[in-house]
Amino acid sequence: MTFHSLIKKLLNKPDSSRNVAKKRLQFALVYDKLEVRDDMLEDLQQDLVEVITRYFEIDRDALSLDIQRMEGSSALILNTPILAAKHRKEGGARAHA
Amino acid sequence: MDGKVIVVTSGKGGVGKTTVTASVGAALAKQGKRVAVLDMDIGLRNLDVVMGLENRIVFDVVDVIQGRCKLRQAALKDRRIENLYLIPASQSDEKSVIKPQNMTWLCNKLRREYDFALLDCPAGIEQGFKNAIEAADEAIVVCTPEVSSVRDADRVIGLLYARSITPRLIVNRIVPKLVEKGDMLSHADVVDVLSIDLLGLVEMDDAVVVSSNTGNPLVQQKDSRAGMAFNRVAMRLDGHPDLPVEDPMAGRSFWQKVGKKLGRKDRTAKR
Ligand SMILES: Nc1ncnc2c1ncn2[C@@H]1O[C@H](COP(=O)(O)OP(=O)(O)O)[C@@H](O)[C@H]1O
Ligand SMILES: [Mg+2]
Repeated sequence: MTFHSLIKKLLNKPDSSRNVAKKRLQFALVYDKLEVRDDMLEDLQQDLVEVITRYFEIDRDALSLDIQRMEGSSALILNTPILAAKHRKEGGARAHA
Repeated sequence: MDGKVIVVTSGKGGVGKTTVTASVGAALAKQGKRVAVLDMDIGLRNLDVVMGLENRIVFDVVDVIQGRCKLRQAALKDRRIENLYLIPASQSDEKSVIKPQNMTWLCNKLRREYDFALLDCPAGIEQGFKNAIEAADEAIVVCTPEVSSVRDADRVIGLLYARSITPRLIVNRIVPKLVEKGDMLSHADVVDVLSIDLLGLVEMDDAVVVSSNTGNPLVQQKDSRAGMAFNRVAMRLDGHPDLPVEDPMAGRSFWQKVGKKLGRKDRTAKR
């Protein structure tokens, strides 16, 4: 570290309001982008049910789909009771997998 | 050749859209281009006052769209700068009187009549904003070095990308002294967070307020740093895309000041 950059570091402490502003901004932008509209969540739920019911019999009314937020990240949580697995015939989509 | 329609937008109000529209429009006209500036803030017009043309309005942009007059009849000629025209907003209508398809029609007409048409967008991201960006070729996003303004800029940038417009950024109202003290976001911080191309950096400048008091163009004031910054923005838009963006912090750092005192002429931008 040169003398110059040392002085700069001392003058521009990590907790200067400028740096606080930048950190808050970076978090806010990440957070804003995680926001999901309700109607999009509903569409997603319909699409997911359609796919899942190809493989399982499920209780559609008991299914829940939520977004859980944690600091800096978020998770999509799907919870559904399975009533039965569907037995697929030979030659199904996954036959060659 | 067809002209360009450029929308000036920000999300947040009061950050400098109208100032940018008036000044960059004037600077482009000074460079010899035929320029129209349009106030798209229907119901709350103020580009006319900033340009000192408020007493001459007869027709407005809504009249043009609704066919009550020709585009040329609504275009007010600037008092001081050749080839600069203002098309004012209507003061009595609501934003919803203009529909997106009207904008497509209007922008086509503007491209035929002018080299550049700058649209001063209202604050917000509702109808007025949607109208203004509907048929634009390019976009200038304006923000100040404040958390709320940069956040709104990010939102607007996202909406522009969704319309396949790649906007460029002007950071306005920079106070170098505060940046230096560590009490204001630097333009580098803002660019870093928004990851977008920079079109200009404009300092906080008393001349902006004086110019809006008198209605005299900022870009004709040789001693105004903001005015000069807008002149350079206009050069970047017209023929000199690679003109470097001048760093307002240049020559301000402690060591550069010492250097200057010692007679060194090093004024290159360091951050
Ligand atoms: N670089 C600047 N220096 C000083 N004052 C400024 C600067 N840019 C804008 N202003 C002032 O800030 C206020 C808001 O600017 P304006 O251009 O009307 O913003 P907007 O159109 O985005 O609402 C005005 O009073 C204007 O004079
Ligand atoms: Mg305005």
